Amino acid sequence: MLKQLNRADLDLLLTQISDEYRLQVPQLLADGTRQLAGYTGEAELSLTGEVLQRKPSAFFFPQTQRLLDIDTAGAVAVPQPAEKPLALFGLNQADLAGIRFLDRFFRAAPADDAYLRQRNGALLIGLTGMAGPDNCFLSLSAGDCDIELVAVKESWLALGHSSDGEKLLQNFPEGDKTQLVRMRHLNEGTAAESDLLQQASQLLIEDRVPDQFWMEIADRCILCSGCNLVCPTCSCFCVQDRNRGEITERSRVWDSCQLDAFMREASGHNPLGTDALRTRRRIHHKLAADVERWGEFGCVACGRCDRTCPTGIGMMAVAEEMVKCFGPGKP
Amino acid sequence: MHPPTVDNQSIYAPRSCRLLAVSKLTPQEKLFRLRLEDGRELNHQPGQFVQVSIPGLTEAPISIASSPTCKGYFELGVRKAGLLTGALHQLQPGAQIGIRGPFGRPFQLEALLGKQLLLLAGGCGLAPLRSLIQYCQKQSSAYSAVQILYGARSPQDLLFKDDLEDWQLSTNFNCRYTVDQAPASSCYDGETGLLTRLLADVQVEADNCCAVLVGPPPMYQPVISALHRMGLNGPQQIMLSLERQMRCGVGKCGHCTIDHLYCCSDGPIFWLEEVEHLRGAL
Amino acid sequence: MNATLTTCPYCGTGCNFYLLSDDRGRLSGVEPAAKHPVSRGQLCIKGWNAHAFVDHPKRLKTPLIRKNGKLQPTDWQTALDLLHDKLSEIAAKEGPDSLMFLSSAKVSNEENYLLMKLARAGYGTNNIDHCARLCHSSTVTGLVETLGSGAMTNSLSCFEETELVFVIGSNTTEQHPLIGSRILQAVQRGAKLLVADSRKIRLSRHADLHLRHQNGSDVALLNGMMWQILQDGLENRAFIAQRTENFSALQHSLKAFTPDYVARITGLQPGQIIAAARQFATSDRAMIVYAMGITQHSHGVDNVRAISNLALLTGNLGRPGTGINPLRGQNNVQGACDMGALPDVYSGYQKVSDPQIREKFSTAWSVKLPETPGRMSTHAIEAAAGGELHGMLVLGENPVISDANQALVRQALGKLEFLAVIDIFLTETAQLADLVLPAACYAERDGTFTSTERRVQRGRKVIEPPGDARADWQILVALLHRCGLKNDYTAPAEIMHEIASLTPSYGGIDYSRLEGDGLQWPCPDPAHPGSPILHLEECARGKGHFSPVDYRPPGELPDAEYPLLLNTGRTAFHWHTGSMTRRSHLLDREERHAFVEVNPEDAITYQISERQQLKISSRRGSIYAATRVTDRVPSGQIFIPFHFAEAAANVLTNNLLDPESGIPEFKVCAVRIEPC
Repeated sequence: MLKQLNRADLDLLLTQISDEYRLQVPQLLADGTRQLAGYTGEAELSLTGEVLQRKPSAFFFPQTQRLLDIDTAGAVAVPQPAEKPLALFGLNQADLAGIRFLDRFFRAAPADDAYLRQRNGALLIGLTGMAGPDNCFLSLSAGDCDIELVAVKESWLALGHSSDGEKLLQNFPEGDKTQLVRMRHLNEGTAAESDLLQQASQLLIEDRVPDQFWMEIADRCILCSGCNLVCPTCSCFCVQDRNRGEITERSRVWDSCQLDAFMREASGHNPLGTDALRTRRRIHHKLAADVERWGEFGCVACGRCDRTCPTGIGMMAVAEEMVKCFGPGKP
Repeated sequence: MHPPTVDNQSIYAPRSCRLLAVSKLTPQEKLFRLRLEDGRELNHQPGQFVQVSIPGLTEAPISIASSPTCKGYFELGVRKAGLLTGALHQLQPGAQIGIRGPFGRPFQLEALLGKQLLLLAGGCGLAPLRSLIQYCQKQSSAYSAVQILYGARSPQDLLFKDDLEDWQLSTNFNCRYTVDQAPASSCYDGETGLLTRLLADVQVEADNCCAVLVGPPPMYQPVISALHRMGLNGPQQIMLSLERQMRCGVGKCGHCTIDHLYCCSDGPIFWLEEVEHLRGAL
Repeated sequence: MNATLTTCPYCGTGCNFYLLSDDRGRLSGVEPAAKHPVSRGQLCIKGWNAHAFVDHPKRLKTPLIRKNGKLQPTDWQTALDLLHDKLSEIAAKEGPDSLMFLSSAKVSNEENYLLMKLARAGYGTNNIDHCARLCHSSTVTGLVETLGSGAMTNSLSCFEETELVFVIGSNTTEQHPLIGSRILQAVQRGAKLLVADSRKIRLSRHADLHLRHQNGSDVALLNGMMWQILQDGLENRAFIAQRTENFSALQHSLKAFTPDYVARITGLQPGQIIAAARQFATSDRAMIVYAMGITQHSHGVDNVRAISNLALLTGNLGRPGTGINPLRGQNNVQGACDMGALPDVYSGYQKVSDPQIREKFSTAWSVKLPETPGRMSTHAIEAAAGGELHGMLVLGENPVISDANQALVRQALGKLEFLAVIDIFLTETAQLADLVLPAACYAERDGTFTSTERRVQRGRKVIEPPGDARADWQILVALLHRCGLKNDYTAPAEIMHEIASLTPSYGGIDYSRLEGDGLQWPCPDPAHPGSPILHLEECARGKGHFSPVDYRPPGELPDAEYPLLLNTGRTAFHWHTGSMTRRSHLLDREERHAFVEVNPEDAITYQISERQQLKISSRRGSIYAATRVTDRVPSGQIFIPFHFAEAAANVLTNNLLDPESGIPEFKVCAVRIEPC
C-alpha cells in the first residue's frame, strides 16, 4: 500500500490516531530540544530535524518503571495497562531498529510483562526520507513499524507495514511510486556507519584490541552513565523498593554497566572491577556479545551516546579510534 | 492496580513463603527452611536458585541447599553479606518472605549417571552442592562412586558440619574436608591446607569421571588445573557453578552477563568448555 | 509524560534538564536539555538521577513540634506562630543579635533574599550566613580585595578558547563533572593541563604536569611559581603597568620563594615548580581553576590572594580563555551570596556598614535596619557553644554533618533555647530541632538559581510538594507577614522585581528574560545582555591589586601522636551530607558505606587490608570506616568523604578558622588509624 499525504492529510491522520491512542509527536521543547511529546493538535510539530533527544523506546522501558506493589501480607498487585495504547510518531530507522531489538529481548521467554504492558498494542509511525536536519535524507526503515511516512517535497509518502497501519491509511489518496523509487535509490549507499561498526566488531571478535586501549579510553570516562541511559538497546536495570505505609512499591530503574557497583558482589568481588573492563564491556557487549547471542549488533547507530558523552568516547568515536589503531593495514 | 490474585501475572511477582526453621551454620551463615504458602512444592532441581524478596530491600539470589527429594520444604543457606541477607538473618520461624523461582540451569544430572563423581566445594559453595549430594544420596546406585571434597577458610567457617559427618559415615560417599588454616586455639584436628591438597591423593578413572565445582572465584583455576592433570580433559567432564549478581533471575536485568551469556538463565551451572574461553568468566 | 525544563539541584555548573513527570504528578526521569549552553545534551551521574530522591517516602510532609522530647506533627498555623513567637521573644529578651539565621545554597535567589530581609528587617539582626562560609568565603574575601568581585571571572565557554588550564585544589571531573569534561575536551584539542593536587585525581592522568604538593602548601607553590616567572622575565609587563597596583610589594614578598625553598615546603622537586611556572607563563591564555582545595584552609584567603597575584602577574584576566575560576559547589551558592545571605552585605554585596546603602534598604523596606555586621556561621557555632546565641533558624542546611568538629556543633545546637529547621528530610540537624518545617524541593517550586559562571537561570515547579510541605518562599512570606513586613508576593517573579530594584548587578534580571539561556550578571538594566567575562577593560575595583602573602603552615600537622594527615572531600556519587543522594537508589548503591583511602605503603606499615574496618581518631573524636587501599592518596595522607553521617569525617576535622573568612581547615588535620 502506498499513499500520499499532504499536510492537511497528515493532521487528519494524527487526529484519527489520537482518538484511539496516546499519540506522541515530535516537538521542539523550551530550549529547542527535539523530543516526543503528547499530541494536542495545537502545538507545532517538528517534522524535520535532529534525532529525537530521548530515545523513543523509553515509552516502553522508562527510566523508572513500577513492577508491582507488595502489601504487608505478601500479596502482590501488578500495574494495569493504560486504557489507550501508545502511538509514537516521528521515529527514524535507528529508533525503530532499537525498538525491534528491545522487543526481541523483552519478549524472549519468560516475557517481560512490565515492558509488554506498555508495548502491546502500541502503534509505531516511522518518519524517514527528507526529514533530517535541514531536510537532509534519513534512511528508510526496515518495515519494522505500522506506518512509515517518507518525507518528500511538501508531502509524505505513506506506507502501511502492518494491518493496523494499512487500516488507518486506507482513505488517503494513492502515492506516487516513482517518488518512492527515488527515495529507495537514495537509501542505497548510506551504510558508512555500519561499515565502521562491522570493522570494529571484527577486531573485538578476533580479540585484536589490547587492554591498554581500554585503559586509555576509560581514563577519559567521567562515569556519567549517559551512554547507557540514552542507548535505545540498553536494557539493564536495577530494582528499587519504596515502602509507603502498608505498601511497598517495587520499581525498576535504568542501570549502567559503567558503574562499579553494577556487578560488584556483596563480598566485594567484582568481575567488572576496573574502569577499563567496564569500558570494554560497553563496546564489546554491543559489537561482539550481542552478535553472538542475537545475530546482530546491539548498536543501531542512532548517535545518541556520542552526543551525550561529555568527553567524546561514545560508540562511534571509540569504534573509529579502534579501527584507526588496529584496523586493516595495522600491525 | 489489579486486585491481588494468587496466580501471579508478573515474572517479577514473588510468591509468599513461610519460614519453618532457622539454624545457625557458622557465625556468618544460617540455614533457613521454608515452605510455599500455597502448599505447593518448589519443584526445583539441584543447582538452581531462588530470588528471596523482602519488601523494602528488594531481592537477593540464593542457591537452594536442599534436594528436591526432600518434600514439604526447601532450604537456603545464607551468608550475611548485604542489606537483604542481613535482614534475613534477623527473621524468626513463622516469618513470611517472598520467593521467585526456581531459576537457572541446574546441574546436568543425566550426564552424571553411571559416572564416578568428584564433587568439590569451597566456602559457601557447599550450599548448592548439598542439594546435589542429597539427591545422589537418594539414588546412590546411579553413580559408580561419589567423592566429596570440601574446603573452608577455618574450622568455624565449615558449613553443614552434621551433614559432613553423615556423609563421612555413609558407605555411598567418600567425603573429606579441609580448612585453609586452623588457629592454634581451635580444637580442630582435621586436615588443613587448600582444596587442591586433598585432590592430590584422589584416585579416579579419568575417562569415566565427572567433576562438579562450586566455590569462590579464586578456587577455580587451581582446581581446574589439578583436574586436568588428573586426566579430566574431555568434554562434559568438568561442570561448574558461576556466581554473578543475579538480580532478576530471568535474563533481563543484565547484571549477571558473562560475555553473551546470562549467568542466571544460561547458567549458573556450565560445562567448563562453555565458558573457559570467555574473558572474565573464571 | 510531561517534560519541564529546570536547573539541576546539585553542583554550581548550572546544567539544565527536563524533569519528566507522569499524569499522577510523579517524576519518572531526567533528560538533558540539548540546546542549553551548559548542558548541551549532557549530564553527570547525579544529574541523570536528580529525580530519584524527590518522591522518597521519608520526605517531610507535615510540620513537627518537639513535645516531651519527641518531634510530633502539628499544623502550619501553630508551627509558624510558635516560630515567630519564639524568635521575637528571644530577640526581645536577649537582643536581636542572640538570633542566628542560616540560609541555604540549595534554595532560590528569591528565598535567600527573603530570609536575608526577614533576619534584618523582621528580627533586627545581621546574623545571617550560609554554607558559602564553608566553601568560598575565602574566595569572596580574597577576590573582592584584589579585583573588587568575588565571582568566577570567566565563563565555561572559555575552556574552548584557552591554551592552558591550571587546576589547583579541584577534583573537577568528580565535583563539577561537566566542567571537568570541558577541561578534558580542551586537552583533547591540544591545550596544556597543569594539575596541583596531592591526590591522583582523574584529571591528573591527562595532565602535562601533576604537582602532588603537600596539603596546605599552596601559597608556597604559587609564590614559587611567581618567583620563577619573575626570574625568567615572563611576567606580563604591559598588563602590570596598565591594570595593576602594588607590584613592587609583590616582587619584594617573593624574594625568599626560590625553587629550592619551595621544594622543601611542598615536597615537590624544584624542577617541577620551574616547569609549572614556565608552562603557565608562556601560555597566552591560561585559566586557573580552583575549588575547596584552595579555600578550605586556615590560610584560605591567602591562597586566593596568591592565585589572584599569579593571574595578574601574567595578565590572565579580562580576556576569553583566561581568568580566575573558583568553581562554586552548590547550584545556588553564588546566588545565596549575591542575595546577601551573608553577615556583612545586602544583596549585590552592598555593605551593611555603609550608611547610604543602609538608608536605601531601610527606605525600601520601611524599617530601621541594624548597623553592625553580623556573625559568620562558623563564629555563630562557637558563640552558641559559649552561650551567646539563643535562637537559630536553619533553612536547608545540615551543619551537624557539614561543619568542622561535630562535637562542638552538637554542643552548640544543644545549648540553644530554640532551634528551628526548614528542610525536605529529617536531617541530622533537624533531628535536634524544636521545630521542623517541611519544605518543597527544587522540583516543587519556582525560583532562580545563579550558577558558578554567574548565570541566573530558572528553576521550575514540575509537581506538587508532598503532603503539607510548602515552598520555602511561602514559609518565609508567612513569617514576613507576622513581622508586619510586605508579604503580598504571589510568586517568586514578584520577589525578583524587588531584588532587581535594589541590586545593581541584578538590575536587568526579570523572569521574562530568563526563558532562554538565562543571564550572566552583572546585568544592570533591562537592555543589558549580561556579562560572560568580568574585569574586561578594568577590574571591578579599578586597578587589580597585588596582595602579597607569606606562607603559613596549616594549624594542625601530623605528629607522633597523630601521625597521618586527614584530607576530606566528596565522591562523584554523593552530595554533601547525603540527604538527597543517599536517598537516590543508584547513587546510594554505588557508594553505600563510608570509606577511608589509605596509600598502599601505609597499608603495609599499619598492616591493613582492603575493606578492613579502621578506627580513625583525631583530637576531636573517632569514627569507623572501611579501608580502600589506593595510590590516589600519597603516603602519609588519608582521605575520607564527609557524606556519611554514621562515619562523619567532620567528627575529626579541625574547626580552626581562617581569621578573615571564617572558613574551617577542612583539608588538613592530624589523625591516627587503628585496624579493628
